[in-house]
Amino acid sequence: MTTATTDLNFFQVKRGLFSWIFSIDHKRIGLLYLYSLMTFFLVGVTLGVLMRLELLNPGKDIMEAQTYNQVFTLHGVIMIFLFIIPSIPAVFGNFFLPIMLGTDDVSFPRLNLLSWWIYIIGSIMALSTLVFGDGPADTGWTFYVPFSVNTTTNVTMSVLAAFVLGFSSILTGLNFIVTIHRLRAPGMSFMKMPLFAWSLYATSWIQLLATPIIGITLMMIVAERFFGVGLFDPSIGGDPILYQHLFWIYSHPAVYIMALPAFGIISELLPTFSQRTIFGYTAIAFSSLAIAFVGYFVWGHHMFTSGMSGTGRIVFSIMTFLVAIPTAIKVFNWVATLYKGSINVQPPLLYALAFIFLFSIGGLSGLVLGALATDIHLHDTYFVVGHFHYVMFGGTGFAFFGALHYWFPKIWGKMYNITVANIAFVIFFIGFNVLYFPMLVVGLMGMPRRYYDYLPEFHIPNMISTFGSWILVTGLLLMLGNLVAGLFNGKKTGRNPWNSISLEWQTPSPPPLANFDKLPELPEGGPYNYKND
Amino acid sequence: MEHKNEQPNEAQGHHISSYKEHFSTLAALLLLTVLTVAVSVFGADLRSLSVATALLIATIKALVVAYYFMHLKYEHKLYRWLLLVVVLLFVLFLVVTSIEYLNR
Repeated sequence: MTTATTDLNFFQVKRGLFSWIFSIDHKRIGLLYLYSLMTFFLVGVTLGVLMRLELLNPGKDIMEAQTYNQVFTLHGVIMIFLFIIPSIPAVFGNFFLPIMLGTDDVSFPRLNLLSWWIYIIGSIMALSTLVFGDGPADTGWTFYVPFSVNTTTNVTMSVLAAFVLGFSSILTGLNFIVTIHRLRAPGMSFMKMPLFAWSLYATSWIQLLATPIIGITLMMIVAERFFGVGLFDPSIGGDPILYQHLFWIYSHPAVYIMALPAFGIISELLPTFSQRTIFGYTAIAFSSLAIAFVGYFVWGHHMFTSGMSGTGRIVFSIMTFLVAIPTAIKVFNWVATLYKGSINVQPPLLYALAFIFLFSIGGLSGLVLGALATDIHLHDTYFVVGHFHYVMFGGTGFAFFGALHYWFPKIWGKMYNITVANIAFVIFFIGFNVLYFPMLVVGLMGMPRRYYDYLPEFHIPNMISTFGSWILVTGLLLMLGNLVAGLFNGKKTGRNPWNSISLEWQTPSPPPLANFDKLPELPEGGPYNYKND
Repeated sequence: MEHKNEQPNEAQGHHISSYKEHFSTLAALLLLTVLTVAVSVFGADLRSLSVATALLIATIKALVVAYYFMHLKYEHKLYRWLLLVVVLLFVLFLVVTSIEYLNR
């Protein structure tokens, strides 16, 4: 009986809907997250495309100003809270962290399942704003006071949704910290741990320590709306800038919740596809912790034009520039890893290279915004929108899809069509740049964000940007269609189609319920010792 | 019987607090609550320090709860370090925000 069970992979052990939605297997929970995340992502993409369609020409095209305000808010809430914050940790962290550590599950499997259920409840709450009351919030995903206290739209439900989603994030972070401390395979010291695990470790600490602050802050909005406590209303002794402080104390570290796991993915992809030891393992590992730590003290750079003190602005600007150091350490180490490597150009590598390129544009445009003088001109313009889409979508989004292409054969035991994946990547990459680069330009020209209308001189860049959104969606649909086709018709793959030495490639594809069919062997000389240097 | 129940818990490193300890902690928390009210009602002279005083008393109360009710006192040192890191982080948030606020 036991032998028969071990021969089955985790898909085959149990069947039926309940065996999935009540599963405590980390792999199934990872996939539950993947399916739900992708659903919400496509909703967010649809809203984004509708916004771009509205901006195709000056004046009203397809929606009223108020509808546009609600659409960009819901787009932000979905993409930030439902997709990008949970994305890599909840999907690939859940699925691969225990396998990469050589163990059979996370420390608290039931808590893991609970976190998915909380995520689903929070997501339903966020989407319910579409059908109840006066529709979705129109405040932007930042819920800035005093507007969020006064508007009649569904702000309360939106912030409650973000509050609930925060618990899911905290539970995942807690689970990963304990798993990394307690369940590493014998012989795997912290310095022999894969860099993806390191990045999840740094991320988890931010999730655990910063998320409660946003929870309390959002509850303060609810208290203000219902009881008029006077926390943020100056007429009764409150301070609206205090809200911005509290919001960004969480939401800036949250940027690193989104970005750090992506860095971990890139650190896995590059050694595999260049068959070379990662350059500067220790520096990459500790730069994750440094980013997590310094990232706690840069939140004020979102508030340079809010009326905060000059001293505060200078301190936050200096701290912002400091974050560039550990980030640049990673980028240089990644590029150095490729040097003299046996480069094997496959779809996951293409996404990794695109990540470095796009994230560098995002990071460098971030420095322009981190400098006090230039930020005065660029604050709340489309330059900011272009910047964070390059960082979040060009960075984390591309890393997410790179990871999906990389681990696809491991998760499902089948291979997608490589040629179609390459074509989809090219379309996706071109579409991305055609969509977002004009935003940087039009932002420099002075076009403000969050308006459904604009002056005639901004027409051409906006038109190009909207064309870009169509190209991007074409690439995205081709990529997802190719992956879904691979699920049904893909060729079966062995344990290790990419010739990696990481632990997850020692196990069968798809992995068995207990992750390994034989005791995993840690690679001698660390997780990236490819022995061809 | 009681002794038997205690054995496995002790073996796992769990501490069982006495009634005396529970009630002393409760008394300390009630006293600190009375002090908070007293300061807010009678301590008008504290002016800008009134918030700091309330925060200080609240912090002491939170530590008492963590130490006795939540058994931090009997846990591994690591947990105390973790709490210290979190408290320090919180203090840093307050300090940085205050520097900005006071220089406005």
